[in-house]
Amino acid sequence: MIQLFNITKAFQRDQNALSDITLRVAKGEFVYLTGPSGAGKSTLLKLICCAERPTRGQILMDGRNITQLPTRHIPHLRRNLGIVFQDFKLLNRRTVFENVAFPLEVQGRRRIEISKKVYQVLKQVGLEHRLSHHPLQLSGGEQQRVAVARALVVDPLVLLADEPTGNLDPDVTMEIMEMFKGANARGTTIVMATHDRGLIRQFPRRVVSLEAGRIAGDSRP
Amino acid sequence: MIGQGIYFLLRALRNMRHSPVLSAASIFTVGVALALLAFFAIAVLNVQRLTASWAAELAVVAYLEQPPEGPVLNRWLGEIRGYPEVASVTYVSRQEAYQRFRQRLGSDADLLDGLGADVLPASLEIRLKPEARQQTAAVVERLGRNKALGELHYGREWLDRFEAFLLLLRTVGIALGGFLVLAALVIVTNTIKLTLYARQDELEAMTMVGATALFIKLPYLIEGALQGVVGGLVALLTSFVAFRMILRESLGNILLLTGIDTIHFLPFTWQILLVAAGGLVGLLGSLLALRKFVRFCQD
Repeated sequence: MIQLFNITKAFQRDQNALSDITLRVAKGEFVYLTGPSGAGKSTLLKLICCAERPTRGQILMDGRNITQLPTRHIPHLRRNLGIVFQDFKLLNRRTVFENVAFPLEVQGRRRIEISKKVYQVLKQVGLEHRLSHHPLQLSGGEQQRVAVARALVVDPLVLLADEPTGNLDPDVTMEIMEMFKGANARGTTIVMATHDRGLIRQFPRRVVSLEAGRIAGDSRP
Repeated sequence: MIGQGIYFLLRALRNMRHSPVLSAASIFTVGVALALLAFFAIAVLNVQRLTASWAAELAVVAYLEQPPEGPVLNRWLGEIRGYPEVASVTYVSRQEAYQRFRQRLGSDADLLDGLGADVLPASLEIRLKPEARQQTAAVVERLGRNKALGELHYGREWLDRFEAFLLLLRTVGIALGGFLVLAALVIVTNTIKLTLYARQDELEAMTMVGATALFIKLPYLIEGALQGVVGGLVALLTSFVAFRMILRESLGNILLLTGIDTIHFLPFTWQILLVAAGGLVGLLGSLLALRKFVRFCQD
């Protein structure tokens, strides 16, 4: 599903955030990206969703080379992706319902279809009773569930999650992981950056370890 | 299509509702700039009307010390009518001049009681063709060769000066108006930039869920245009109120001395143009503010 060939990313001359990364993630796979802060986990995710361009190397997504994807085509690529951030990045002036509906509005889906789908996903994440609330009226865990619902509402091919449980307590972390597991079971490929070793032990999956911008290990349970 | 339009309009209105102070600032800025422009336009338009009416009335008047005998008068009239620059020549007898003056004095006409019609001289009123106005001096010189015609009066020089003043007023109006509109544009751009800075996270989130640049920008463009249109309407309303309460009085008093009795507000097409200009300033302001704000990729 995702193929990275000899990817190098340098933000400054002679200072690589990522060096010579080659990685294949199969369709329907669940992969943890782990490593200490500054190892390059977030940068790797940004390269996959075209928020950054690699300095060298090629990236293929579902067989398509996205390395030099023209900027005007990036939105169309992202419509097949679900992205979850540590800091949620919700639209705080919109209700929970509107937040989850937004990716579908962007795709020009019909109103009735949007309502049905959003309600269904909010039910999945247990927030159907909160749909008229605004994000800032919710707890951190609930906000992250809204963010997950927003990512899943489009039935993404790939879900990219950057430390999605970093700010959450253990119970909420479990809930979020159950949601990811569910999405993965439905066929969504998941790449999740985390440095939570306990979490990886609890939900064992393939682990790609990064250290100083290089792949230091790649293990499967 | 209509559904999409309504969707973007609602998003724009929602944006405005969420930033009422910044929206009000944009509207106020456009309003003030365009209101000042409107004041100038009202002044220029009315002064222009005045000069147009003067130009139409422009005549060379030859005062006759002694009214000539009929055949002599006819010869003069024929001769002057033969000038290519002349549109018409009218003989105004002492009696007619006296009647006109009485009419002009209106209720004060009784001041003339006890005075005979012979207090005023007879005259020849020579109207020039509009295209021959530049040749007034040459016509006057030609008329001056007939010494019997006496004193020759014409307002050409004065009208020229007035037209130069009008040109100056118009130039100052355009320059000042242009400057004000430019200032409004800069302020609107910066105001919208402020709202965009406040919503940077939101813009980023939008780009991450697959929204196209147009999808993100359109509500802001509509917002800018709406603010501009409302600013234009505010300018129109302000200038109309100012026109009714101040301008009509003050400008009216000045222009009354010159023979104009009513001061006009901006014609309907100008009113539409004023509001449209507001919309355009708002739209351009948003467009400039949005440049480089919506980024999909850190290239």
